[in-house]
Parts: sequence; structure tokens; C-alpha cells
Amino acid sequence: MLREPVEKREFTVANEYPYNHAGTVRWIASHLLRYPLFPLLALAGAILNNTFYSSLQVFVGRAFDVITTPGWTSAALLVVGLTVLGAGVGQGLTGLLRNYSMEFLAQLVERDAREELYVSLLGKDQTFHGRQRVGDIMARATNDVHMINLMFSPGLMLILDSLLGTIMPIVLMARINTRLLLVPSIYLVFFAITVIDHNRRLKPVTIAMRDQFGVMNAGLEEAIAGIEVVKANVQEQYEWAKFTQDARSYRDSFVRSGEIEAFYLPPLVHTIAAAAALLHALQLWQVGVLTLGQVVSFFGLMRALSFVTFISIFSFNLVQMGLASADRVLDIIKARSEMDENKQGTARAVDGEVIFEDVSFGYGEQPILKHISFAAHAGETVAIVGETGSGKTTLTRLINRIFDADCGRVLVDGIDVRDWSLASLRSQISTIEQDIFLFSRTVRDNIAFGRASASQDQVELAAAQAQADEFIARLPQQYDTLLGERGVNLSGGQRQRLAIARAFLTNPRILILDDSTSAIDSATEDLIQRAMWRISRQRTTFLITHRLSQIRWADRILVLRHGELVDQGTHEELMARSEAYRRIFARYESGNGERGH
Amino acid sequence: MGFVLDGLETEAYDRTYRDRDLLRRIAAYLRPHTRRMVLVSLALALNTATTAAGPILVSRTVDTLLVAPSTRAIVVLTVSLVALGIAGWALNFVRQWYTARVVGDVVLKLRQDVFSATVLHDLSFFDEHPSGKIVSRITSDTQDFSTVVTLTIDLASQVLQVLVLTLWLVKIEPRLALLLMGMTPISAVIALSFRRVARRVTLHAKQVTAKINADIQESISGIMVAKSFRQEQAIFDAFHERNQEAYRVGLRRGLTLNTIFPILGISSGIATSLLVYIGGLATRGGISPGDWLLFMQTVGFYWWPIMSISSFWSQFQDGLSAAERVFALVDAEPKVIQSDRQPVGALEGQIDFHQLRLSYTGRELVLPGLSLHIRPRETVALVGHTGAGKSSMARLLARFYEFQDGSLLIDGRDIRTLDLHEYRQRVGLVPQVPFLFSGSIRDNIRYGCAGATDEQVLQAATRIGGGDWLSALPDGLDTDVGERGASLSTGQRQLVALSRVLLKDPPILILDEATASVDPFTEAQIQEGLAEVMKDRTAVVIAHRLSTVRNVDRIIVLRNGEIIEEGNHEALLAARGHYAELYNTYFRHQSIEYMEQARHLAEPGSEGQSARSDTVATRP
Repeated sequence: MLREPVEKREFTVANEYPYNHAGTVRWIASHLLRYPLFPLLALAGAILNNTFYSSLQVFVGRAFDVITTPGWTSAALLVVGLTVLGAGVGQGLTGLLRNYSMEFLAQLVERDAREELYVSLLGKDQTFHGRQRVGDIMARATNDVHMINLMFSPGLMLILDSLLGTIMPIVLMARINTRLLLVPSIYLVFFAITVIDHNRRLKPVTIAMRDQFGVMNAGLEEAIAGIEVVKANVQEQYEWAKFTQDARSYRDSFVRSGEIEAFYLPPLVHTIAAAAALLHALQLWQVGVLTLGQVVSFFGLMRALSFVTFISIFSFNLVQMGLASADRVLDIIKARSEMDENKQGTARAVDGEVIFEDVSFGYGEQPILKHISFAAHAGETVAIVGETGSGKTTLTRLINRIFDADCGRVLVDGIDVRDWSLASLRSQISTIEQDIFLFSRTVRDNIAFGRASASQDQVELAAAQAQADEFIARLPQQYDTLLGERGVNLSGGQRQRLAIARAFLTNPRILILDDSTSAIDSATEDLIQRAMWRISRQRTTFLITHRLSQIRWADRILVLRHGELVDQGTHEELMARSEAYRRIFARYESGNGERGH
Repeated sequence: MGFVLDGLETEAYDRTYRDRDLLRRIAAYLRPHTRRMVLVSLALALNTATTAAGPILVSRTVDTLLVAPSTRAIVVLTVSLVALGIAGWALNFVRQWYTARVVGDVVLKLRQDVFSATVLHDLSFFDEHPSGKIVSRITSDTQDFSTVVTLTIDLASQVLQVLVLTLWLVKIEPRLALLLMGMTPISAVIALSFRRVARRVTLHAKQVTAKINADIQESISGIMVAKSFRQEQAIFDAFHERNQEAYRVGLRRGLTLNTIFPILGISSGIATSLLVYIGGLATRGGISPGDWLLFMQTVGFYWWPIMSISSFWSQFQDGLSAAERVFALVDAEPKVIQSDRQPVGALEGQIDFHQLRLSYTGRELVLPGLSLHIRPRETVALVGHTGAGKSSMARLLARFYEFQDGSLLIDGRDIRTLDLHEYRQRVGLVPQVPFLFSGSIRDNIRYGCAGATDEQVLQAATRIGGGDWLSALPDGLDTDVGERGASLSTGQRQLVALSRVLLKDPPILILDEATASVDPFTEAQIQEGLAEVMKDRTAVVIAHRLSTVRNVDRIIVLRNGEIIEEGNHEALLAARGHYAELYNTYFRHQSIEYMEQARHLAEPGSEGQSARSDTVATRP
């Protein structure tokens, strides 16, 4: 069996359905074909529904012939009446069949696509997740996947129905007499031209309208959110003028779109065509080719064609947007991270020495880190300080290989990180992010997340070491308290200490700690200090921090500015030689206060 | 055709305005467009006549042809149908053309009115109403309100059409007309009861979906954590269950909504078959085949309009609710009322709170009777626990809120008698969370001083932290700050807010210090900048920084809206009163002594001993 090389995935589920990833349309088709029954039923339902609907017109004509034939019997009329009844009921039932099949299909595809996306996300490595914005992925798993649903129902369903709503009357007309097709075919050509032309003119205006609404809304949101500043600076008039301008350009586009809608030609084309069709049919009646009842049937079918004018840009837009969404979802599913797992690489216990040798890194052309060199001994605490955007976080991500350096080397225990087995390296490095993520589970489950086998004693010990035991004891159900959405919300400092407790349990050799929370009160600050100090013992710790106290007691301080390591050393060394570093302590050192008395 | 399914998602809303009052106010907005409205109504009435005339003409001609086939009758019919079609299209054109103008203009006017009413409200109004809701009232509700207009026009045209046809049909054959009309309520009842079910299912689905989406989002944010702890299977199981639930809810809603049209189709089929048979029998006694044909053609004319008429009321009510939300925003009474508009002139910056009493809700007193004299160019720090009254004092000073009793004097003059706009131009405000508008840093510093030159802006920016912060920005002063300053760091936003005040150079400054954590380099610049902006003006600061409380002229210690201590940092600390307690709670960890000793804090055995008294004791 020849198959393309199996992609590397860290997670799979049993009995996974093999979808086609070769292209967007093929991918959607493969989802569709997972349930072949539903598309077939939907198609059959749509064909029958439109046949019944159109044939109602034919039967009305037939009834007309019955009642205009001298000496007609009630029984003959009853037969036609019952036929009409049958067609009416049949139309409704087959309509239900079509709608339900399509709805099942749409919902199933949404469910499956979301699951496929989720499984693929779980299969991606940390490199991928470290690079991807969570918000972006969320949008794809909720909005985009839902757009695929809407593309089927009502999008494709409406298109299918409009198509059959055109075909079936034409077929039935042909069955009455093929010569009747003359006017309808001309009509369809003109209809198509006018609809396309209309949409062509309307589209830019619709887009402008949507954009201008967005601009107006955003401007307004800003003015209202900043109302305090607006008022304090007496800018009410200016904001009013700005809003009015936005609201007026929206109004202009709205009116323009109303004008274009008013000029919608297809109904005019249809009434003229219907008159012409009637003329044609009556002429055929005069020469005896048709009965008057057939003329009535034909005229009814011609009128049925006007319903096609209802297929709006709406359904086509839905399909277009659905395809674009599918594209975005498939992009993620297909994305592969290029990081080499290096299974043959070094796999052993990490001691904790980290060395950067002339390391540079950038996204594309944009350099983030330039020629960074430093050495951290095992067990040291390294504080990284610098302004926002100076490259602090990126620097730490080179250690656990979320990114690989462009130039230079990063060594752990003297071995290039690229020569380590990725799994072995990463399992011994833990990261506590700035935004701490907790699951909507109990406190206990959150602490023991990395070691589900941990005993209650171990969990409590970790919590105590992380200075989290006191606040946990005050929670309504202590360790069994549910957190998150439907549970208790914790403060930033509390979340941080839970994450530290989690790290105590898993005991990594290298810890990366992004600590940018602010403690407003000193008591919390005491707890955080203790927790941080303890977790940083016995392991190499990289602290991205704003706290001067932590900088003060770090073994080594790295000062970053615009991606460059401008200085490094202990507090005393930096105080002695760095102007910038002295400045940050300047207003604290003046023990007696600066003001004269 | 979607009308039966329109407006299902709107939530129930308690109305306080009467329909009549709302309609009167809506009418007032339409009055300037009377001529256009008359044109629209005329076009609408005439268009109805052309639409109804078509089928009638066809049925008459059919009768003529049955008796005597004549080419002339056929040609006349065709020409008339074409003429009617063109006329109908043109009338519809007129109707839509002018409707768009009327609706566009009315919505614009309404938006302008609501906006100006909104910005006139004092800040207590914005505390009570989340800004998202206010925005949606100004943009979305005004839009929904316009549906009242379009719905009414559509309804009028459909009612007219049904009326004209009914009159004609009753004239031809009253019993048959009665049969046809007798069946229409059935479709109306089906449509209405369906709407009730659909509304329930839709609202339910909306709530459940929001919850499930939140869960799904959580399980996505959790992936990274789950991976680093190898818990993929567990998190997948949780996701799988949620996804199944989302599927079930979505399916239920989808199937429900997809039921209505086929059901209505069946009911219309039954009606048609009855008319075919009973009407057919009637041609034996009285009515002509042409009349019968007319009845057949009108089933469609009746069926769909009746349904849209039946769903009209609830949609109309939704539109009125939107109108009410809009008018409620316009009608809310501002609470801050100036008794006079005296010119303010140059201010010295002397502030006197005299027996000032403030309550937001009318029950709980925030300031029970506060008195405080602040000298011109004095810097004063307000400290106290949350709810002590610090922000209230600052807000009163900015005249954002109304107080109930006592007085607030600026340079000895009652704040209520001053020209409010002019007064605010003399007051600088730095809110706790600095707010930036999208645009460049330059625009933001200049906000409030539109006339300032580029040079003045640069000068103001350079005076903050020596201007070093500008070099960290990609385009200096022209750097785009992004939506609400998103592309700047928190610290940079504070620096911009400080520069803004320096450019404005007000005699009085109200400053609420930010508490967000900022990197030490930017923090150093902010502290330097704070010292700069407080220089040479009266400054009232809600202090969160140790460096600030140590540098102001006077610290005012507040508790429960009362001043209980005042003095400078050293004296207050030595007194070991409430300020010392506040110091231990909020400022101690910012001291250099704390930083020096932080390491020992965490060492074994230090847990029990109080680092607090230690640090305080070491103070000179």
C-alpha cells in the first residue's frame, strides 16, 4: 500500500475518519461523502418538491379544461381536485425531507470539522502552539466552522432549490409543448444578465456600507469608552463632528444602495416576459395547438419562474464565505511545524546549565534578538529585564525550542538544544506564562494537572510551598472548589501561585517564569516573593520580571534593549557601571526624600 | 420569504413608554419628510392597483375568449399587461427610492441627536450603563427603529392589496370569497404558533451556544497546558462531549426552523385543492371559468401576505422597543447642573471642600461632610483603603458628579457657577487607566489642545523622562498607537497621558496613579514624569506609589469619607496611626529596604516573624 508519509502527530484518536486534505473543495466533499445518504435524500427531496410544486400549475390548467368542456362531471373534477391535494401534500413532505436532510448534513459537517480541527490541534507540537495566537484559533474553531454549516444550510440548499425551481417549470412546459420554450428561454437569458449586472453594482456599495458601519461603530466605541478624557478635555463638539461625519458617509451609502435596489430590473423583465409568453401561448391556442387549460398551466408555470428572482446574493455570499472559512480551517489542519524532534538526540537528566553563544533570531526580516551571549550556571536565578518588546519572552522561547536560533547556539548542559531529543529536553523545562491558564475544574485537579497520580498530601505540600494553602483554605470547598466559568474566579496573584504549585509537583530542572503581575498590597507581595524564591531554588530559573526585589536577589541580571543584551551581571556590578540600571533605582535610593524641608 | 423567521432573537424587554408616545415621537422625525412620504404613499397605492389589476384582466380576457376567440382581445391583454408591468415597476422604483432617502435621513438625524444627548450626560450615567450597551443603542437600535418605518410601508402595501382583491372577489361570488378568506386564519394561526416555538428554541439555542462556545474556547486555550503536561486525552474527552452538545442544540434549532415552510406549503395546497373543487362546482351556477381562474391565482396573493401580516405585530413591537431604548437615552436627565456660566479666567488653583456631602445612590453616604483647604500650587496625595472616598473627591473636582450638600470652591468661587467647559479646560486629568484614541502619539498628546504646534508637542513629550521613551518608538511621535493604544505598552500609554497634561499646562491637576505593573525602565521614566507634571500647579493625586507619597507637600488620610490624619510621610509614619497601617498594606513592598531584604523573607524560619514591623522600624 502506497500512502503519503504519515505526518508527525502527537495525538490521535481511535477510528479516525480519513478526510481529503488536498484542497478546500475536496476537503468539504470528503466531509459530505462521510454521510452519502443525506446529500442523496436532499437532492431527491428537492427534485420531488419542485416537481410537485410546478405540477400544481399544470393541474389547475387541467381543471380549467374540465370545467370548460361541455357536459363535464363532478367526478372528473373531484379527480383533479384530489390530484392537486396530493401534489400539495407531497410538496410539503418532500420539502421537509429536503430541509431535514440538508440540516442534518450541515450540523454533522460542523461537528466533524470542529472535531477534526481540535484533534489536529492536539496533534501539533508546542512549537506550533507557541507561535499561534490563541484568539485566532478560537475564531476558526467557532465562527469559521459555523460558517461551513451555514454554507450548507441555508446557502447551498437555497441555490439547489432555485436551480430546480427553474428547471422543473421548464421541463413541465416542454411536456405541454416544446414550442412554448421560446419566451422562457429568452427570459432566462435577460434575467441572468440583469441579475448579474445588479449584483455587480450593488456589491461595492454593500461592502462600503459594512465598512462604514464598522468605522462608525469603532469611532463611537472609542468616544464612549474614553468619555472621561473627552469631557476632561472639552472635546464633546469635536467628537460629535467626527461621529456625524462617519454617520453621514454611512447614510450616503445606505441611500445609494437603496437607489440600486430600487432599480432592480428582473421583476420588470419578468412581467414583460410573462405578457409575451401569454401572447405566444394564446396564438398557439388560436391555431389549435394548445387547449385554453394548457395556456393557463403554461402561464402559471411562467409565473412560478418569478420566484427564482428571490435567489439573492445572500446565498451565494454564504457559499463564498463558507469556502473562505473552510480554507482557514484547513490551513490550520494542514499546518506542520518544521521542528525536528530529533528522537536520536541526547536524552538524559538535565543538570540546568544554559549558555547562549552569539544568538540572533528574528521573524522574517524583523530582528528580535541580536548577538546574545551569556552563561547561566545550573541552579542560578537569572532575571531578565527590559522594556516591553525588547525580546525577553522570545529569548526564553529559544531554550525550550519553541523557536530555533537563526545564528549562534543555545546550549543546555553544554549540548546544543538541537542535539537534544526534543521530548527529553521539553519534559524538563517548565514555563509559567504571564497569562495563567486554569481549567474549569477543581483546585486539586488544577494543581495535580501534570501529575494526576499525586496524593492529596503531595498536592497540599505543593500548595503550601507555593504559598497558596492559605487562600485555598478560605475557598468554599477548599481543594474541591470548582474554578473558572462556572466556579470561583481567582485574582492574578492567586492564579500565579497555583501555577507555581503545579510546577512544584512536576519539578522541572529549568523553569521559565514570566512574572508581570502587580501586587497592590504588601501582604500579597510577601507571599509571591516567598513562592518565587522557593520555586527558584534547586533549579535554573529564568525570571522575566518587573519586581525590583527579584532583580535585586537574582544571581544574574540580563538587561535587554531593542533585542540587544546591553549589560549583564549582578546587582552590584550593574549599579557600579550601568547608567540606565542606576536610573531605575535612583528614586528609591534617596532615603531621606528628595524634597527640601 | 424569511419574514416568519425574522426577529426571533430579540429578548423580552420591559417597556416604560406608551406606544402612542413612541409613535408620536417617531412621527416627529418623519415630519420634515412629509412630501417624500406622500409620494411614497401615492406610489404604494397605485402600485397595489396595478398588481391587483393583472390577474383581473387575465380572468376577464379568458372569459371573452371562451365566448369568441379574438386576436384583438389577446393583443389588448398583452399590451395592457406590459403597460401595467412597466407602471408597477416605475411606481415601485419611486417608492423604494424615496423610502431609502427618508430612512437614511431619519436614522442619521436620530443618531446625531442621541450622540449629542449621550455626551452631555455626566459620568454617573456611564457608570450605570456599560459602554457596549450605549454604543449598540446609538448604532444598532437606531437601525432597528428604521424597520418600524419599512415594516409599516410593507404592511400598508400588503393590506391594500388584500383589500382590493377581497372587494373584487366578494363582488364576483361572496360565498367563494368567504371560503377563501375563511381558510386564511388557519395559515395565520400556524405561522403565529410556529413563531412562538421557534422563538423559544432560538433563544434557548443562543444561550446554550454561548456557553458551549465559551467551553470550546477554554479547551482551546488549555491545549498548550495540556500538552506540556501530556493530558491530551483528558482534554479531548471534555471537548468531545461539548461538541456533541453543540451539535444536538444546533440540530434541534435547525430542524425546528426548517419545518415551517413545508407545513405552510401543505396548508396552501389543501386550500388550492378545495378551491379547485368547490369553485369548479360553482361554475355550474353563476360564476364564469375566468372568475374561477381569478380565485386560483389569488390563493398566493392571500397566503403569504396574511402570514407576514400576522408576524408584523411582534416585529413592530421589537422596532418600538428599539425606539424606546433610543429615546430613553435621549431623555435621561443629566444630574450635574450648573447654576451659572460665569467666565473662569486665569486660575490660581486654590480649592476648598466645605462640609461637602456626597451620596451616589441617595442612601449610602460616600462623603458625610468633608472639609479641606488646598493652597494654590500645593501637591496633595489622597490615601486610604478602597471606598475611603479618594476617587469621589477627584471626580467632584473634575465636576463629573453632583454633590448633595456643602460647597466646593475654586479660587473661592462656587464650582456650580463656573462655565463648565472653560473650567475643565483649566483642569488636567490623568485617569488610572490612561485612555488613548486611535491615531498617532502626536494626535493623542495634542488631544484637547488642537492648536498646539508640533514643536510644543515635542517639547511636552521631551520633558517626560527626558524624552528617552520616544526613541523606543518605531516612528517617534508619529507612531500609530493602534486601537485604544493597543500597540503601546501600558507604561508608554501612561507617558503619553503625562505628556498630554504637560502640553495642556493646567493650573489644577487631578491624577489617579496607575497600579498596573510596568517594566523598571519605563517605571523610572514615569516617576520622573510624575514629578515634572506636579511641579508648579495644584495637584491632587490618588497615590499608589511610595515615591509619590514621599514627595508631596501633604498627605490626606481618608477613612470612610472622612479625613482622619494629614501631614507629610515621615511625620505620619512616626505617628503610627492609620497612615502607618496603610503604609504597611500598600507601600511597604515598594521601599528599598524591602527590596534589599526580600531574599530573607523567603528563607526558612522567616514565615512567622512579621517583616512588617521590621521594615517600619528601620525607617529613619
